[in-house]
Amino acid sequence: MYRWDFAPVLANASLLAEGLLNTLKVTGVALACGLVLGLALALFRLSPRRWLSWPAGLVIEVFRTTPPLVQLFWFFFALPLIAGIEMTPFLAACVTFSIQSAAFFAEVFRAGIVSVERGQWEAALAIGLTRRQTLGRIVLPQAVKRMIPAFLERAIELMKTTTLVATIAYADLLFEASDIAQKTFRPLETFTVAALIYFAVIYVFSLLGRGLERRLAVSGESTVH
Amino acid sequence: MAAHWDFASVFANTDALLAGLAGTLRLFAICLVLGLGLGLVVGLARYAHNRWLYVPATIFVEFFRNTPVLVQILWFYFALPILLPFEISPLAAASLGISLNSAAFSAEIYRGGIQSIERGQWDGARAIGMRWGQAMRRIILPQALKRMLPALTNRAIEIFKMSTLASAVAYVELLQQGKLIASLNFNPIEAYTAIAVIFFVLLWPLVQFTYLLERRLKRDE
Repeated sequence: MYRWDFAPVLANASLLAEGLLNTLKVTGVALACGLVLGLALALFRLSPRRWLSWPAGLVIEVFRTTPPLVQLFWFFFALPLIAGIEMTPFLAACVTFSIQSAAFFAEVFRAGIVSVERGQWEAALAIGLTRRQTLGRIVLPQAVKRMIPAFLERAIELMKTTTLVATIAYADLLFEASDIAQKTFRPLETFTVAALIYFAVIYVFSLLGRGLERRLAVSGESTVH
Repeated sequence: MAAHWDFASVFANTDALLAGLAGTLRLFAICLVLGLGLGLVVGLARYAHNRWLYVPATIFVEFFRNTPVLVQILWFYFALPILLPFEISPLAAASLGISLNSAAFSAEIYRGGIQSIERGQWDGARAIGMRWGQAMRRIILPQALKRMLPALTNRAIEIFKMSTLASAVAYVELLQQGKLIASLNFNPIEAYTAIAVIFFVLLWPLVQFTYLLERRLKRDE
């Protein structure tokens, strides 16, 4: 019978904490950039001008269709050679996951904007607002509320996806765990603890998302996915 | 510095790419069958009134939905063998991680689909003398499956994309072969671009098919 011993893992708790911090850092940067870029992509995609809508659609489709790990490898190993730039694992992770989440957020934004009734546009234009004012002051505020659960769901997916950075040696929680497992010869305890930490953090966000969705449902607000 | 693109060095390794494709398809097939099959069992357990079925199924779903699939694969590869008297192969570890993860996600699809069928269908099936199992198999599931189809094909696409994570435990699949070609020929630009294009070409029709199913479902309901 195997004897579990968590002491070697606990002795490296500070490394795990550092790893978790790095995980949150990548998630935060990619989330912030992804939201801004996602809104831009959605607006381009909805534009009647083809030279705007077509490239936006292409970016969205490519990044939603190819595996995230392939994207990460491409940005880490191929892009620096093409562009002749220095690439760090952190930068590669931020760029990849920002564009990737932007592609997913764009579809959420689009669904949200499209879900706002035509009458809102017509009324706003009728009282003399420009299209941009209508979008910023009338349509988006209503749409964003409906999109919140989908955003949270996507943010959770993003945090799970950030574990891929461990494969390009960025010191996130999973990378630190692999490192500790190798050093202490305690892979069972280390990976179990890492899994539990991920579960604890992600589960809190899941519950938050579900609570919000219920509240929106109670207030009669429809949500988009 | 302008990079010099040369795809000849990638085409020269077609054999390696084909071996990778075979590995990707094998892993995909295993995880599709196991993931969606086990998902139905777990989904039914989540729908059950019996607490002995409901509670374990719920714990399973919550745990596997709320942890990253790469952590699961590495756990099965590095941690699980400590508890077992035998080694776990890269294929087995990747299959376990991706299948169980997909089972948890598809369980929620099945449950949602079954719940969406009106009570009257159950009552009708009961009234003509069907048992629970018969009603589920002949009346409820066929109708629910139609509604679940877009979500299930979406899951299949996710499984295909997740299969690349098996490269982290050195399973021979497309991305792993891309890594190999890039390191042997010093052509990461061409190698990784080729891999990305291959995945896009393979998955694009499946994605379009899912859009079509979604549109059709919206029209029918």
